[in-house]
Amino acid sequence: MRERSNVWKMLSTIMLSALVVAGCSSGESNTVATPESVLKDGKYDPPLTMTIAKQQDENSGKYINGESLNDNVLTRWGEEKLGIKIETTLLGGDASQYNTKLRLALTGSEKLPDVLPVYDTMLINDLIESGQVKEITEDIATYMPDRIKEIYKQYPSTFNPVVRDGKVYGMAIAPNLTEGEVMLIRQDWLDKLQLKAPTTLEEFEQVIAAFTNDDPDGNGKQDTYGFTFSGKDSYNTGWVSDPVMIFSAYTGKHLPRQWVNDNGKLAYGSVAPGNKEALGKLRDWYAKGYLNKELATQGAWDALSDFTEGKAGIIVGRPWLYGSVKDVEKNIEGAKVVPYPTIQGVNGDRTYQTAQLNDGVFMFNKDFQNMEAFFLYYDKMYDAAFGTGEFKYGYAQGYDYDIVNEEVTFDPQQFNTPLEAVQGVGKMAFTKNTPSVDGPGQSYYDLANGVEPDTGVLLQSDSRDQTTKDGYRISYENRDSLVPNDFNGPPTPTMQNIWEQLTTMEQEIFTKIIYGNEPLEAFDTFVKQWHEKGGDEVTEEVNDWYNQASKTDVMALMNLK
Amino acid sequence: MYHKTTGYRVFSVFNYAFMILAGLVCFLPLLHLLAQSLSSKAAISGNLVSFWPVGFNMDAYVKTFSNSNFISSMWTSILRTVLGTSISMFILTCAGYALSKEFRGRNVLMWFFIFTMLFSGGLIPSYILVTGLGLKDTIWALVLPGAFGAYNLILLVNFFKTIPKALEEAAFIDGASFFAILSKIYLPLSLPGIATVSLFIMVGHWNSWFDGILYMSDASKYPLASFLQTVVVQSNMQNMAMSQSEVEAMSEQSIKAAQIFVSTLPIIMVYPFLQRYFVKGIVLGAVKE
Repeated sequence: MRERSNVWKMLSTIMLSALVVAGCSSGESNTVATPESVLKDGKYDPPLTMTIAKQQDENSGKYINGESLNDNVLTRWGEEKLGIKIETTLLGGDASQYNTKLRLALTGSEKLPDVLPVYDTMLINDLIESGQVKEITEDIATYMPDRIKEIYKQYPSTFNPVVRDGKVYGMAIAPNLTEGEVMLIRQDWLDKLQLKAPTTLEEFEQVIAAFTNDDPDGNGKQDTYGFTFSGKDSYNTGWVSDPVMIFSAYTGKHLPRQWVNDNGKLAYGSVAPGNKEALGKLRDWYAKGYLNKELATQGAWDALSDFTEGKAGIIVGRPWLYGSVKDVEKNIEGAKVVPYPTIQGVNGDRTYQTAQLNDGVFMFNKDFQNMEAFFLYYDKMYDAAFGTGEFKYGYAQGYDYDIVNEEVTFDPQQFNTPLEAVQGVGKMAFTKNTPSVDGPGQSYYDLANGVEPDTGVLLQSDSRDQTTKDGYRISYENRDSLVPNDFNGPPTPTMQNIWEQLTTMEQEIFTKIIYGNEPLEAFDTFVKQWHEKGGDEVTEEVNDWYNQASKTDVMALMNLK
Repeated sequence: MYHKTTGYRVFSVFNYAFMILAGLVCFLPLLHLLAQSLSSKAAISGNLVSFWPVGFNMDAYVKTFSNSNFISSMWTSILRTVLGTSISMFILTCAGYALSKEFRGRNVLMWFFIFTMLFSGGLIPSYILVTGLGLKDTIWALVLPGAFGAYNLILLVNFFKTIPKALEEAAFIDGASFFAILSKIYLPLSLPGIATVSLFIMVGHWNSWFDGILYMSDASKYPLASFLQTVVVQSNMQNMAMSQSEVEAMSEQSIKAAQIFVSTLPIIMVYPFLQRYFVKGIVLGAVKE
């Protein structure tokens, strides 16, 4: 299925770029004579309609009270309070289907929605090339509310993909540093074997050796192991079942599959020297049985089932991962999971991990005239993040929070009308991700330091279970270890041709070395081949892009300085 | 008496074993799904469920049937299958009957149809056509584009051709019109062929998901297969920004299992009623007169 959708994607990319380049836009101009909507007291009268495109996957069908995509508590609120009607005119399922639909809309067979969340750097590029998206440099300068400007000021690199010739064609969707990863460890195993949580590579090795050999679950069988992670798609998953900590212990900020600014020049992490030692270590551990035997065939999501089953003792992931593996405490009596910070590097420095600053960018139809309305709406969405205004506690009472006996509660079972799960009302707007200004978990850090929970964000964080809270606190304390990928532009020409081959080769070699099917020296051969087979050209092109992107000071043009 | 020989017995044993194995390969995944749909969330995420429910409960089914989108998708799928199959069969029998006769230009016409089998316009032209006709967001976008399939037409034409010409001539002499001949003689005689082609079309409609996602801009209008596609296939694993609630929803395997199971049931239930026709269904070119 995966392969098939790739074929679809490729085919449609090829065919559509041809069409797009040919400028195949039907001349259907938008001349609907509606009375001009006027903004009066924060409300448009008569109401204006903002059409949007939306990628909706897991949430599909999760509306309560008979509500639907275009008629729910949030769309009604928008119409009532702001005079802005949100209408989804382009809906896609998973990422590749959504991109296909956006490309199809580009053929001019229908009107492009006003607001386009785009999640693919290639598509961002094609949209700019097509000339069908709006240049918003001045709109940002004029209409973006100050408190949102403050946020965008912190993340100038998120504009890199949408800048062309000093003009800005989009903006990141709710930029905010994501939470970092923590190590989840079976505390009961540590206690039983009288071990301490590892902080260095040597200690880590001792612990996983003990978890493998010393029968931590006490069943008299050697059926447990130390560390479970996924090596199926990449050795840097960035979110769940991630082994990147081991690589970073030797390579510092040079993370596999990621570009890092190394003295002003972008370098590719997978070919950095320290990887060899990291692979040697993993190879050693794999041979001794400390690792997941099937690590190369299990995706990030599969790799955690061994932990939930009680076979593996350590897993690395975002703090919320606890919610997904806590069933181990149900399945096995006495099991207890506790989060710890990731270990230190071999030279005592910290280990680093991937950070994400935003998920996709907003782009706008070139005929869209109501940027002011967009920013009005967008600013209101931020109310929930700041804990101000109407959305102080959440977006809608009875949906994502409720007030029971004058107490705010986020536990859906405690609601006046109990719910199965909290309704993600924020996701009913145009974004997949609700705006947040909490960074990698500041509210949890504040709570841990004795701040009284009085805003919606703090109250919500406070309502989580203790293990998750601890995880977020650790994540915030170690926020310096988060490094975003410095390359977020469209695939360069050489990349489009050979990147897939290069990453496949990388994945195969890494896995073969860990499995012991290739000598450790295969890494040197890989690095050599990588450079020869196009890696050098890619590096050059990526650096050209980077220089180009950071050359013009668009931030000043947008009044974001 | 060939079935008494040792060779035959060995073959039989091997044959049965092979068939049972093949049957199990098809049946076990379904059984696993059923077991998952009846198990508790904890047991599934701990990999404890194989072919027997662990922590038996019916929650997944209750949740599935209380999901309004599931119900509306089910309805869309049923409507689509019934409507699509009837329209297709109407067109195909009319066209097939005509094309089974000899008349001038028949081959040219046939060639036109076969051409569409080999070369199609592709995704973009189809999409532009459907949106241009204003079919987007309607059930017709799912039913009409695939209503006429050249492959099914060929099957039907060949089936009609096997019916003796003399029957038709006799009917003519008795004063029957073309339509009377089609409905009173051809259709009853070619039931196996019609049942087979109908099932092809039916299953095709039931399982097709891409057009639903392509042409519908409201998830409540999705047919069941498209709905499942969005719920079950979590293809975007690299999408790293996820919230706790999303992640918890992802691990609700039991609901997914229940939804898949419920959605396969109708088509499985239709099958036995059509199965008896299949023996005679497709014998295209198997017997020469």
